[in-house]
Amino acid sequence: MADEAADLSAPDAQLLARLIPPTPTVWDRYNPLTKATLAAATTIAALGLGGYLTQGLLFAALVLPGAIAGRVVWRVVRTAALVTLPLAVAVGLVSVFTRPGLTILFRVGPFDATLEGLDFAARVVVHLFVMAAALILFGATTSPRAFVVDLERRGVSPRLAFAIGAVLDTVPAIVERAREVLEAQRARGLDTEGGLLRRATSILPLAGPVVVGALHHVEARSLALEARGFGRPGPRHLLWAPADTATERAIRWLLLVAVVALVVAAATGAISHAP
Amino acid sequence: MISRIWLRVLVGGAALAGTVFIGLSGSSFDTTPAAGGVPAGANQFMLVLALALIVGFLFYEAVEWLQTRRLDSITHQFTTRTIVLMPFAIALNIVLGQTVASALKLPIYLDSIGTILVGVLAGPLAGAATGLLSNLAWTFMLASTPFGSPYAWPFAITATEIGLLAGLFGYLGAFRPRPRTLPAMLVAGVVAGAVLLGALLWYGILPAYRDLGCGPGNAAASPDGVCTPIAFLHTSDPLFIALAIVLLAIVIMAAVVLLVRLARDRDLGVVYVLVAGAVCGVVSAFISTPIAALVFGGVTGSGTDFLVAAFQQAGSSLEDAVRQQSLISDPIDKTITYLIVFTLLASTSRRLTARFPQGERALGTVED
Amino acid sequence: MLELRSVSYRYAGYRRLALDRVDLTVADGEIVGLVGPNEGGKSTLCLVAAGLAPGSIGGVLTGAVLLDGESLAGRPTHELAGQVGIVFADPASQRSGIAGTVFEEVAIGPINLGLPVDDTVARVRGALAALGIEDLALCAPDRLSGGQSQLVALASILAMRPRHLVLDEPTAELDPEGRRLVEDALASLARTGTALLIAEHDRQLLASLGARLVAIDGGRIVPAEGAAA
Repeated sequence: MADEAADLSAPDAQLLARLIPPTPTVWDRYNPLTKATLAAATTIAALGLGGYLTQGLLFAALVLPGAIAGRVVWRVVRTAALVTLPLAVAVGLVSVFTRPGLTILFRVGPFDATLEGLDFAARVVVHLFVMAAALILFGATTSPRAFVVDLERRGVSPRLAFAIGAVLDTVPAIVERAREVLEAQRARGLDTEGGLLRRATSILPLAGPVVVGALHHVEARSLALEARGFGRPGPRHLLWAPADTATERAIRWLLLVAVVALVVAAATGAISHAP
Repeated sequence: MISRIWLRVLVGGAALAGTVFIGLSGSSFDTTPAAGGVPAGANQFMLVLALALIVGFLFYEAVEWLQTRRLDSITHQFTTRTIVLMPFAIALNIVLGQTVASALKLPIYLDSIGTILVGVLAGPLAGAATGLLSNLAWTFMLASTPFGSPYAWPFAITATEIGLLAGLFGYLGAFRPRPRTLPAMLVAGVVAGAVLLGALLWYGILPAYRDLGCGPGNAAASPDGVCTPIAFLHTSDPLFIALAIVLLAIVIMAAVVLLVRLARDRDLGVVYVLVAGAVCGVVSAFISTPIAALVFGGVTGSGTDFLVAAFQQAGSSLEDAVRQQSLISDPIDKTITYLIVFTLLASTSRRLTARFPQGERALGTVED
Repeated sequence: MLELRSVSYRYAGYRRLALDRVDLTVADGEIVGLVGPNEGGKSTLCLVAAGLAPGSIGGVLTGAVLLDGESLAGRPTHELAGQVGIVFADPASQRSGIAGTVFEEVAIGPINLGLPVDDTVARVRGALAALGIEDLALCAPDRLSGGQSQLVALASILAMRPRHLVLDEPTAELDPEGRRLVEDALASLARTGTALLIAEHDRQLLASLGARLVAIDGGRIVPAEGAAA
């Protein structure tokens, strides 16, 4: 990559530099794979290690520094709290009142709220929060396109890279299409509010046009791509790739070794897993 | 050509059998039924079986590589058309799973339509890849968008299994429309389907609820002291009686709708899809149960959580309660999804579907 | 030169012939306008002439499709990319969906050909300049007007530098302004010696390009005057 870039004329090199998605903070500038590895390692650790203190340490050591460097502390904490909230309510209701325990906190009707249930629910919520925060930090400071380009540069097949990369544009397109269909069907009197059976029977008129429309789109797009040499085997020379350093490579290997050690320790019973 | 394929199947099958043999002889299994009626050794047995399937597959592919220096049985499923369909399928999973299901406020997931679509049209491996990528993309690629979900990736294994099974069922022709079936065949098919569904219910689903009727807390609920798979019917918990009535109503409604369809189109394909969807649902329930219990404390934040609470209140352990919940939700969800995909594909122009690697095989030969 | 010699084609799984013994020649620098009713065989002929049928969509083809005298039979589609290009009506579905900028979208073809980076950059710059859309280079491909999108689709093909170009209703989904942009681009393209085959409802467009008209109906070439455009 670097050798080829050296052959480019100055205006070309400048142009290619402008194709790279912006990286406003120090944390954004780290390689996408490094940030992905960190997020994955944190989630696995949060899953494998029990205890409030350990979870707190994981958050403080593996999430907070990046969030501060990336200037997204508030966004990470708020989003992680928002996505965890419904699960927190559910796990609270499911566990606090149904888990047998010796310490009864209070009673609601025939149900006993136990300290053991509360403890279990809190453990689940805390590790879910740490997992979510780690992944949201990755998302908030990484351009998905840069991530895909980086994977392709590392030898992921261009076809696989396409399948992953195109998701990004396709989701909003499908949402738009689903909204159009929903409005059109409502205008034609489709009832999406009535009873259970009525709502169940309205799935097909909603999903149908979206799916069939997608199949038509797939046909046209695959022909257009074939005409542009998509099926050709052999290596490709990409226009740009996110920067990577030897330090980051070392960090990734270190994280990988730590995660493997953790999994082995958990599997052999050396440490007890949460919750 | 045929003999070459037979050689691969033979070697792969032998490797599978060998792995199972080694896996089973190397360790002893606890076959006494634990809580929930499933022997404690069952999980280990399933692990050995899953590993054996992978080993068998690897041997099959190794023989193919030695014979042809290519892996066409894998690569032919991933044509340009398949690759282009995959992001659409992933987006369909995510969008229909999030927006349509919530717009309609139904207690089902609908987050596997795309995966099943790819499995049927392109083959088992393409379906499995779509399922896997779907949940990973949901977590990693869309993390910075409002559509991202940090909680999707643990279920990537279930999504992979859903795509794999859909591809196998597609290969076996379970999604083929079979209109204008002769009345005698139709009756025979419906009876066979009912027997298969009954067997699935009796052996696959009901054992998970055995302890509800005969567990230590419910000893009195089983009047004759004999523990049968339907012992939980003796329970006097009003919640479960209400639940049973609701389930029965759903099953009867679905049966009426399907019978009307059978009578109108005489399309026996409906029965095939029904059985395949139910099988997929039961398998998915068993795979996702430990994930839901271990990672999420048994909840998903949706309407199905009250079931987990109810089963726990009735004395089930967390994992048992999640399994009991999943064995209700998943078969219903997957059967509905299979029927949706079946109906959509039957009404889609064959010019579009037949161009996918498995399209013609899965949906039958086309008319003029 | 693009030649079809007694070409018949049947879609996969269909008994009816979609093309029935079609003969057609498009010389270098010539513009041939393909007219005829819907479902008459225009789009099928475009797919066959671009080497996508049967290569990409299956089906059975008899007769010969020749590019500069060389038969396409048995050659995979990715080998033909770069020799013959095709542009379809809908700009949105021709977009790859993976490019963050127009520049990267147009670069996908050259990158697929395995070209070194400096070649790719030169080709993309050339294609954008040929259509006068250099200033779109850093725009997001999904935020363009219909006409601009179609020009990007055309540029994506031109960056492959094909000597033969097939266009299936290239202006059908465009407004008058977009139509004019595409028309100008096609006229200047023909002047560079590219063979152009354009299936089009809009006879006015074909007339102003000075295209030789060929009519197709029921899968067969019919006298141009007799076909309803």
